[in-house]
Amino acid sequence: MNRLTLSVVALVVAVLPFAPLFLNTYQVDVLNSIGLYALLALSLNLILGEAGLFDMGHAAFYAMGAYTAAILNTHYQIPILWTLPLSGLAAGAFALLVARPVIHLRGDYLMIVTIGVGEIVRIALVNDVFGITGGANGIFGISRPKLFGWVIRRPEEFFYLIWGFVALTIFLFLRLKQSRFGRALNYLREDEVAAEGSGIDTDAYKLAAFGLGAAWAGMAGTLFAAKMTIISPESFSFWESVMLFMIVILGGAGSVLGVLLAAFLVIGLPELFRELAGARMLVFGLVMMVMMVVRPQGLWPAQTPRISLAALTGARKP
Amino acid sequence: MKKSLLAMVAALSLGLGGGAQAADTVKIGLMAPLTGSWASEGQGMKKIVELLAEQQNAKGGVLGKPIEVIVEDDGGDPRTASLAAQRLTTKGVAAVVGTYGSSVTEASQAIYDEAGIPQIANGSTAIRLTEKGYQKFFRTAPRDDEQGRMAAQTIEKLGFKKVAILHDSTSYAKGLADEANALLKKKGVEVVFFDALTPKESDYTAILTKLKGANPDVVLFTGYYPEAGLLLKQKKGMNWNVPFIGGDATNNADLVKIAGKAAEGFYFLSPPQPQDLDTPDAKAFLADYQKKYNELPPSIWAVLAGDGFRVAVAGIEGAKSADGAKSAGYLHKDLKNFPGLSGSIAFDAKGDREGEVYRLYKVDADGNFVMQKK
Amino acid sequence: MPASGISPISPIHSASPLVEEFLQQLTNGLAVGGIYALIALGYTMVYGVLKLINFAHGDLFTYGAYLGLTLLTSLALTDRLGFALGVLVLVLMVMGLVAVLGAILERAAYRPLRESPRLSAVVSALGASIFLQNTLMLIYGARFQVYPDDILPTATLNVLGLYVPLMRVLIVLASVGMMVALYLFIQKTRIGAAIRAAAIDQGAARLMGIDVNRVILLVFLLGPALGGVAGLMVGLYYGQVNFTMGWVYGMKAFTAAILGGIGNIPGAMVGGLLLGVIEALGAAYVSIAWKDAIAFVVLILILIVRPTGLLGERVADKI
Repeated sequence: MNRLTLSVVALVVAVLPFAPLFLNTYQVDVLNSIGLYALLALSLNLILGEAGLFDMGHAAFYAMGAYTAAILNTHYQIPILWTLPLSGLAAGAFALLVARPVIHLRGDYLMIVTIGVGEIVRIALVNDVFGITGGANGIFGISRPKLFGWVIRRPEEFFYLIWGFVALTIFLFLRLKQSRFGRALNYLREDEVAAEGSGIDTDAYKLAAFGLGAAWAGMAGTLFAAKMTIISPESFSFWESVMLFMIVILGGAGSVLGVLLAAFLVIGLPELFRELAGARMLVFGLVMMVMMVVRPQGLWPAQTPRISLAALTGARKP
Repeated sequence: MKKSLLAMVAALSLGLGGGAQAADTVKIGLMAPLTGSWASEGQGMKKIVELLAEQQNAKGGVLGKPIEVIVEDDGGDPRTASLAAQRLTTKGVAAVVGTYGSSVTEASQAIYDEAGIPQIANGSTAIRLTEKGYQKFFRTAPRDDEQGRMAAQTIEKLGFKKVAILHDSTSYAKGLADEANALLKKKGVEVVFFDALTPKESDYTAILTKLKGANPDVVLFTGYYPEAGLLLKQKKGMNWNVPFIGGDATNNADLVKIAGKAAEGFYFLSPPQPQDLDTPDAKAFLADYQKKYNELPPSIWAVLAGDGFRVAVAGIEGAKSADGAKSAGYLHKDLKNFPGLSGSIAFDAKGDREGEVYRLYKVDADGNFVMQKK
Repeated sequence: MPASGISPISPIHSASPLVEEFLQQLTNGLAVGGIYALIALGYTMVYGVLKLINFAHGDLFTYGAYLGLTLLTSLALTDRLGFALGVLVLVLMVMGLVAVLGAILERAAYRPLRESPRLSAVVSALGASIFLQNTLMLIYGARFQVYPDDILPTATLNVLGLYVPLMRVLIVLASVGMMVALYLFIQKTRIGAAIRAAAIDQGAARLMGIDVNRVILLVFLLGPALGGVAGLMVGLYYGQVNFTMGWVYGMKAFTAAILGGIGNIPGAMVGGLLLGVIEALGAAYVSIAWKDAIAFVVLILILIVRPTGLLGERVADKI
């Protein structure tokens, strides 16, 4: 990172917490939307970016979490934020269950399976599976979250909840990336055969990435349910999965900061183009295409860790 | 490159600005699906509301100020709708018209309510929208239960004994199908088939073949016009002559375009179309619309958005104030027999439209929608 | 879901109602599957050579449908030339125009990304898809567009008591015919051999004197041409076209291509027809509302047993 980017990042980090003070509610709500998608995209980044597994059905896990939270909250009156770990678990467990038999599939075949899972989940929700999802109506009347006795209601308040969670996620995922687990994922993404040869149980690592990414998406789903207070299947369509996929690749697969930047663009641009009315998605599509062509590695590609030769030779000296 | 990216981010954060400027106009918001699957409805809504605003301004606007219509795209998606609603609240609108889908409207209800802005939905028929006690929520569209009652009544009156019900899993069509199913069973009419098709496909022969196997006297299809048109056309291709009854979402001029001759004999329920009303307002509006856009309004829902706009203006005028609570209060209590484009309008305490709105229509050999005698 | 009672149908038919319904559903599935297969060919050919999933392919299909409509109504081809010749000319024109569009797409959105990570091109394709779709919406408007319904022969064939509209038979025959022609072209001609060579190893193909760029261009002419014709056929037969239709059909066709083994041309045909049949039978005997979910479950089960689809090569290819 050069000095200019570093200072810009520092500036953004310094200014962001005060954003609600000088932005109107709409602008804050756009930031909330961006925050939610940043969370989702970061969770997908673990699967798609770090482990290189083509997941284009991420909305399924997001839905799983949102519905778990909504059902627990509306049927059993469990405060919505308490359901966070449970919805994470539900989404993660579901991901492990469906990924187990297909984890060995090659890239594009895995992609269609995840698309299929996404569609199956959506259709199941629409058809009111087990009589608990409310069909196409969805679930409404989800209670507002409460934190230390404070009811979170206005966009300005959600801003701190969502972006607090984003900050925590960034911190954890950056740590994870440098851990043994993260490095193993990168290894098997770059060369699965070599990774396996070095004693990495590739299937187990892939599944772990899948489960963890899905669990995180599930928790983002809880926040979404808490914010909207009504959820319905149309919020978890194939299109949502596609947008998340675009965010990760556009940002630079495996790059936490890149994914954040792309979340700003992919969610923010259609808002910025609102003045164009009916043409806003046209311009958005064009911008996507052009950005990808101009920055094929992603807007802000992950840095390959460099270890200097001197350090290596130095290490070898007795 | 990185610099230009940063410039873009900066532009983004600036561009989202453009807050409320205090100009001397009365602003009325329109939240409509300008993009996405329901773009055709949303664009119709926009055309109608803009035309009506133009005419109102020619007559001097409201409260002596010109009306400014601010259109926001809800994309037919709840999340986008909640953003569109937030945006409209920051622009100082006096009332909001829209939107089409029930769950999309629902995602915006609380936002307008907290901002004290009256909302008049035009296409959202789900029952629960008006059961939440929002004092500033209205709709010009009738509710699903009323239509379900009307559908069951019509089927009974036409003397059908074995009914097949087909919906499309959208909350609107499913709600109507459930409502009609329960009422028909109560009346002792046999429901021999109940299932949903997948919308947006082109080939429904597999479903029609299965429907035919159930051997119904009549098919009640509660979904939308594109599928209804295809069903009618493909049913004719199969040489199957069972009558079809549709819900109000089939009331769209494109139905006949899609089904062609096969549309003949198709029944549907709908609030009356502007051309079937003899009020001068409705007639003049229709003529003006055709003159300006050279087509008929796409559907009754777009017309109901027009009614929403007229009602919003009437509320502001009646209350002599652009304040949300006052105009909403006027709409609840004092608006009676308002001459809407879709018949007379008044609201009950919940914000629902009063009175029986539905009529039975039948498509004639030339593809015209003919209102049946009550 | 209530059981749909099969009631006796008039005794004119020799086959039992159950068998008759089954056969009817089978033909329904094949007709839809034929269209899927035609579109799937475009996905599979591009994938075979470039290992790229061209998500904008479905929109090229939509352009075929819209261009066909515009040409049909503005030139009045069927009035001037008669039905058969008029439609033939129309098919050729649509093929040509959509092929050119495909080539432009390749040049603008994919060629700059050929040496980049594979998924970058996928995102570029998704962007192109959004762009193409919304362009169409702005040009034609969001309302449904409708083909004139009086140009097609409406005859219905009665085959063993089954009602099969003549047009359906023609559509299935036309799609199978085009697929066979394409297969022969790929297998028997020198150009076809070049395409196959480039699909196996671009570097080696280049060394053998094959102009890989031209092969790719050719693939981007052929695939969209077939997709465009599929769009035209859907427009002609079903009558209504909409700017988002490519998204639905494209997804199905992509599924079909994977089902048959992506990169494999007979696989796309088998996958398309099979997917159509699975959908029809799933709707008929399990549930209409769950139809698409059933199709995906079958697909996933097949992939668990055969990880590279029905006819895909089982080499551990580098991804």
